[in-house]
Formats: sequence, structure tokens, C-alpha cells
Amino acid sequence: MRSTTPLSGLFRRSPFKPIQEHMRVVFSCICLVPPLFDAIYAKDEGQTRDLSRQINELETEADKIKSTFRLNMPTSLLMPVDRKDLLGLISEQDAIADTAEAISQIVTYRDMIVPDKIKSHLDELLEGTMEVTSEAKEMIEQLDELLEVGFGGREMERVSEMIAGVRRSEHNIDSILHRARRALFEIESEIDPVSAIYWYKILELLGNISDQSENMADRVLLFLSK
Amino acid sequence: MEIIATYGTAMVILAVIFGLYMTWGIGANDLANAMGTSVGAGAVTVKQAICIAIIFEFLGAVLAGGHVTSTIRKGIIDPTSITANPEILVYGMLAALLAAAFWLMIASTKGWPVSTTHSIIGALIGFAIVGIGPDAVKWNKVGSVVASWVISPAVGGTIAFLLVMSTRKLIFDTDQPLRNAKKYAPFYIFLVGFIISLVTLFKGLKHLKVDLTAAQSFGVASIIGVLAAALGWFFIKNIKEEVGTNRETHFASVEKVFTPMMLFTACAMAFAHGSNDVANGIGPLAAVVSIVGSGGEVMQKSDLPIWILLLGGGGIVLGLITLGYRVMLTVGKKITELTPSRGFCAELAAATTVVLASRTGLPVSTTHILVGSVLGVGLARGIGALDLRVVGNIIISWVITLPAGAIMAMLFFYTLKGIFG
Repeated sequence: MRSTTPLSGLFRRSPFKPIQEHMRVVFSCICLVPPLFDAIYAKDEGQTRDLSRQINELETEADKIKSTFRLNMPTSLLMPVDRKDLLGLISEQDAIADTAEAISQIVTYRDMIVPDKIKSHLDELLEGTMEVTSEAKEMIEQLDELLEVGFGGREMERVSEMIAGVRRSEHNIDSILHRARRALFEIESEIDPVSAIYWYKILELLGNISDQSENMADRVLLFLSK
Repeated sequence: MEIIATYGTAMVILAVIFGLYMTWGIGANDLANAMGTSVGAGAVTVKQAICIAIIFEFLGAVLAGGHVTSTIRKGIIDPTSITANPEILVYGMLAALLAAAFWLMIASTKGWPVSTTHSIIGALIGFAIVGIGPDAVKWNKVGSVVASWVISPAVGGTIAFLLVMSTRKLIFDTDQPLRNAKKYAPFYIFLVGFIISLVTLFKGLKHLKVDLTAAQSFGVASIIGVLAAALGWFFIKNIKEEVGTNRETHFASVEKVFTPMMLFTACAMAFAHGSNDVANGIGPLAAVVSIVGSGGEVMQKSDLPIWILLLGGGGIVLGLITLGYRVMLTVGKKITELTPSRGFCAELAAATTVVLASRTGLPVSTTHILVGSVLGVGLARGIGALDLRVVGNIIISWVITLPAGAIMAMLFFYTLKGIFG
């Protein structure tokens, strides 16, 4: 005898679990970016390739989680947040991993030599990137608690605070980025032009990571304001 | 009249067999669904659920099952035009039972979300139309029953919504959720005992020769509520904040308070189910017993014998023990997304709605009300994801079940008529 209950068809897996799972993978991807630059500083090609491969694998894993997530989001779901916002959020998360992968690809197909004058700026930028992404991850980890209280009240204030934190960090990175570009401009004549172009590109990509983290924060804000 | 005199005993035996089969099916499926929520939340084990079901299903059937039984027995069909041929009504009741049981069997092999209540009502209407005539169906009553199928899940949903909101205001969205959880838990448990017993007691025990005044009902219900709350406090008083748990939600310990509370709603659900769904199986049985017992009196003035209620409860328990435990496990596994606090709200809302319906004599679907209550929790932004396609399936099952039950009842009616001549 099979169960005639409509109850078992009623419950679907919470969408927040795969979102959090995805974010953890994305974050571990970002965690490999500073070591990647350390390897470049040390001109250790083997290590650079190895880290780049690991970033690539994690990005693929994140992609898989994202696809499964999208496939399991029929329009018939009743969720505490808008389906569009959830799909948007996971896209923004995924973009972060994509950016990390783009950086890792540049440094493997091109032997990048770090000009001394931008090293300190680069370190500062990497530190800021780690900060903003870990804040974004913490924010995503709060989604469980938000669900418990129905996306309101005290917990909402806490998450709003975290969102504001991500925004501040992003703003901070903008100014670091500006200084780094200025430093790069000042040594443009000393390095070869193609390298300069690629350094501008890498700086831009690192900046994108924080922009994407801020976009995530904006999506989560939409959860709260529904 | 001679047919009743000749075949009376055979008819009663048949009715008992069909009634047992029907209640067995209800226990194997329907009750298992209702209890699966508590099993899924980890509040009770399957064994405990079965023990709870045995006690409270019987209590529900005996204390509060009379009103719905009476509706099914004599509320849907008006037999005044066949007083001379009481055997027609006996065939009809047997056919209705058989049709409903048969339809449920088909539905459960296919896994359709069909309700026993809807099957039996459809079957009764089907028999009345061909056996007596369309005028014999009390369409007004049928209308209010059908309306209750739409309204009751909405009522369950609304109560569940309000309960979730109250837990949020009083417990989750406060500075010390755990302390408040322990503070308000006994009050919620009191509500479970109080509401269920008040609805049952208030002018509802006449069949047991107990007639309590309003004040007495309130008093007894309060005592039951306080007893439940005291028992609940015993379970939850030792729950402590778990310090240093990695990064599980900091509401984990609050949910632990709600886990034993679901024990009480499990009892309430079994009671509610007993008060409403047992009637589906024993209503027609009671009709047959009454007609045969009175030697062909179709108006069925006699009271409902307690042994029939006990038989119905027994059949349901038997169904639960033989097959229902498996259904319970399956349901339980599927609904792990329901945290104990939400499960508590949904079950309390569903049980309250069902008991209210039972008291009014309306045969409703426990499972559909539970679905409505869960949707109410979802609307309060309390559940990760609910698939609304289920609602569409339920509506389709209504639309199909009524005619299917009716047509089968017509077929069985003519078959029985042919056999007994």
C-alpha cells in the first residue's frame, strides 16, 4: 500500500541549505587567491599552477551546486523569499568564483612578475577582498536564523548590520583600488606595456570580487524588505 | 420487511466486515499521515506514536466521534420515502462502505492524495441518487459539508499562522529565546489540553449520559490543560543552553523545548482523527445495525451503541499496527524540514480545527487540514520551501473522488440488491 498523503509532496528541501553550501565552496575558492599571489611573489610556478588548478576545481563544484539548485526551483514553490531574489543571489555568489578563476587563469598563461611598487597595494587589496568575502559568507550563514524568526525582528537588525558591514568594506576596497592603480600608473614607463595592461586587468578583477559581494548583500537586503 | 428479518444477521456481519476493512484502511493511511509529523520531528518514536494513537484514537472516537457518525448515518440521506423498503437503505449503506473502501484501495496503490471522508460522502450521494432518488439527498447538508472541506483547511492555516506569529513575538524574537521558550511552553501545552477538551466536553458528551454545564466544562477543561502543562514542564525543565556548539543556529536549544511539546500535539492529532475519521467507517455500519436491530425502522431513532465506536477505533489501530507504521516512517522522513516549533503550531492548529468540525458534526479531512495548517506556517515565512502543486492535486482529488465514489456505490448497490433479491 502506498501512502496517499499529500504531505510528503508538500515539503521541499529548504533553498537556503544549497545557497549556504554554494557560498562555502565559493569562499574556499577565494581563500586560495592570497596563497596564489604568494606563489607568484615567490616565482614558484609549480605552486602557482597547483593552486590555480584547485581554484578551477572549486569553481566547477560551485557551478554544479548552482545548476542543481536552479533545476530544483519550480515556480510552484511557496518560499519565505522571492524565487527571483534567490536565483539572483546564487548567480552573484557564483560570479565571485568565476572571477577568482579568471585571475588564476591569467597568472598561469602569463608569467606575471610583480613590480615591487605595487606589492604593498596588492597585499592590502587581497586582505580587503578576504575581509569582504568572509563578511558576505557570514551573512549567508545567518539565513537559517533569519528563517527561524521569519525574516524580521532582532535577527533582521543583526543581518542589516552585516549588510552595512559588507558595504563599508566594499567602499574601503574602492579607495585601496584607486591607490593601487595610481601606483601602477606611476611605474608604467618602467614595466613593459603588456604587463601593465594585465596588472590593470588583475586589479580590476580583484575589485570585481568586492563588487559582487556587495551585490550579494543587496540581494539579501531584498529578503528582509519583502 | 421480510428481507430484513431473513437476512438481518448476514447484513450486520457484512457491515461489520466492510466497516472493519474501511477503518483498517483509514488507520493504515490517514492516521499514519496525521502522526507522521510528530515522528518526523523526532518528538516520538514510531512505537510511541502507535501507543499514543491506540489510547487517543479510542478516546476521540468514543468521546467525540458521535456527531460526525450521526451525520454520515442520517445526515446526508433522507429515507422517508422508503420506509416500506428498509432493505434498500441497508444495501445502500453496505454499498457506500464497500465503494469508499474500494476507491481508497485503488487510490493508495496509485499514491493519489484521496481523502476517506470525501470517498464515503461521494458514495452515499451516489447510492441515494439511484437507490432512492435525487430528492433523497439532503443537498443543503451536502453543501455545508463540501463548503467545510474548503473552509476547514483555511481555518487550520489561519490558526497556524497566528500561532507561529505568537511564538515569534513571545519566544524567537526576544533577547533570551530559550528562557522565554521555557516560560511560555507550559502555556502552549495548556492550550492543547484546554482547547481540545473544552470543545469535546461542551455539551458534547450527551451520548455518555454526561451533561456538563458551561462552567463545569470550563473547569474540567482547565484541569486537563493544567495537568498537561505540568507534565510538559517535567519534560522541558532540564533543557539547557548548549554553550560552544559550533555554528548550529542559536535557536537549536529553543527547538529542543518544542520537541517534547509535539508529544502533546501528537495526542491531540490522534484524538482529533478519532473524533472525525472513525465515523467514515462506522457511520454506515451504525446505520445498518440500527435498521436491522429495530426490525426495519429507517429513521434510526436509536442511539449509537458504544461497541460500534470501539470497533471503529479497533479497526483503525489494527491498520496502524499492520501497515501504518511504515507510512508513518515514510512521511516522517520526508518532512524533516518542519522544525519542532513549526510542527507544533501546525499540529495544534489542525487538531483544533478537526475537533471543532467533529463537534459540529462535519466530516472533514484531517490530512487536508494538516496541509492547510502547514501552508499557514509557510505564509508566515516559516518554512524553507513548500510545493504548491500539492494544492492542485488535492483539488483534483476532490473533483475525482466524489463521482468515483458515487459511481462505485451505484454499482455495488445494484449488485447487493441482486444478491439479496
